[in-house]
Amino acid sequence: MTALAQGLIRCHDCGYLSQQARQPRRCPVCGSRLHIRIPNSVQHTTALLLSSYALYIPANIFPIMTVTQLGVTEQHTIMGGIIALIDKDMMPIAILVLVASILVPLLKLLGISLLLLKVRYRWQSNARLWTTMYRIIAFVGRWSMLDIFMISILVAVVDLGGVSQVIAGPASTAFAAVVVLTMFAAKSFDPRLIWDNQE
Amino acid sequence: MQNLASYGDPGWVDYLIMENTKFDACPECDLLLNQALPEIGEKALCPRCGYLLYRPRKQSIERTFALSVAGLIVIFPANLLPLIGIKLLGNSHDGTLWSGVIGLFNEGMWAVAILVFLSSILFPLTNIILSLLISAHLYFDKPNRYLGSWMRWLQHLDEWAMLEVYTLGIIVACVKLASTADLKLGFGLYAFVTLLLITAMLASSLDPYLFWQRIAYLRRHEA
Repeated sequence: MTALAQGLIRCHDCGYLSQQARQPRRCPVCGSRLHIRIPNSVQHTTALLLSSYALYIPANIFPIMTVTQLGVTEQHTIMGGIIALIDKDMMPIAILVLVASILVPLLKLLGISLLLLKVRYRWQSNARLWTTMYRIIAFVGRWSMLDIFMISILVAVVDLGGVSQVIAGPASTAFAAVVVLTMFAAKSFDPRLIWDNQE
Repeated sequence: MQNLASYGDPGWVDYLIMENTKFDACPECDLLLNQALPEIGEKALCPRCGYLLYRPRKQSIERTFALSVAGLIVIFPANLLPLIGIKLLGNSHDGTLWSGVIGLFNEGMWAVAILVFLSSILFPLTNIILSLLISAHLYFDKPNRYLGSWMRWLQHLDEWAMLEVYTLGIIVACVKLASTADLKLGFGLYAFVTLLLITAMLASSLDPYLFWQRIAYLRRHEA
């Protein structure tokens, strides 16, 4: 028995249950706007997801930072930075960066796509598993900011004029946008839709 | 809130608050549940989707109040003092949270600079200030018409404050730098790690269910 079937609306913010029959527009406890489900959840999530896919390409092909060391200038892409770490025998850190900057964004993009397809085509399958997948996607998103923060610290610390300098590259804006857009996409997806079409 | 006034009947709000408190709905699958309040140390999960419905906290309001005061003190050294410094060929240079943002801005990466500023400086600060405001009002039983809005802001901004991710960024940067230059850890780093621990404890001591109940209660007894 869902709250929807009983004519109750749960406030998104404070959890208070209001009665649909009274057609309240705002939650009486916290004043937040009431909706039975997040409005236009699938459309918003799809739009954000497509933008993320588009930005994922420049994020991976352009250099994310330019490192100058003793007069030698090198440009690193995300993947290049990981390979450089492997070459220096820093395997654990390389794996950490690989997970945060390559695997997490990619799995997030694919995961949200699958969730949208599941809701759109009403696939009948274990809804609990889908909900778990949604939770993992919503939880891990922020950890992709790792690369951006690392660059911010390197830019701050490595600033010794011509001797040694780190400059952020164009891919950093694209990558940051992918992280933010996929976080918004996960937030705009309403997990209750997974259960609504379930028999 | 002006929107509530538009409903006309002032008794309406009270009526609703009284009426529906024995039920609850799962936020992730919309299952209608009988309200169960577990003891401290226990937790209530949604039987259908496994969502963690409540986990009551010991002395939630008092601890949130104390921790947010502590956080507000520590956030200043964490932001302003150098986190790490390097020494290379006789040149040395320190980096703070701010200098990273300013450095990115000066390189023309203003969008990234704003994002780093928001997620590592502004949102952690607003979260601590909001926690302090809310817990202080609840602790002293002072009603305030903005309590609900503050709590909503706190809940929405929570995932955008990324101190723990920043800490991981510091570790990766240190490993990258350690092979080429001499590293020294600044006092700001210790303040930053303290701030990280405080915000983590803050997040776990704040019991949103209890806070909303208290806010609704204060609201009812405001007049």
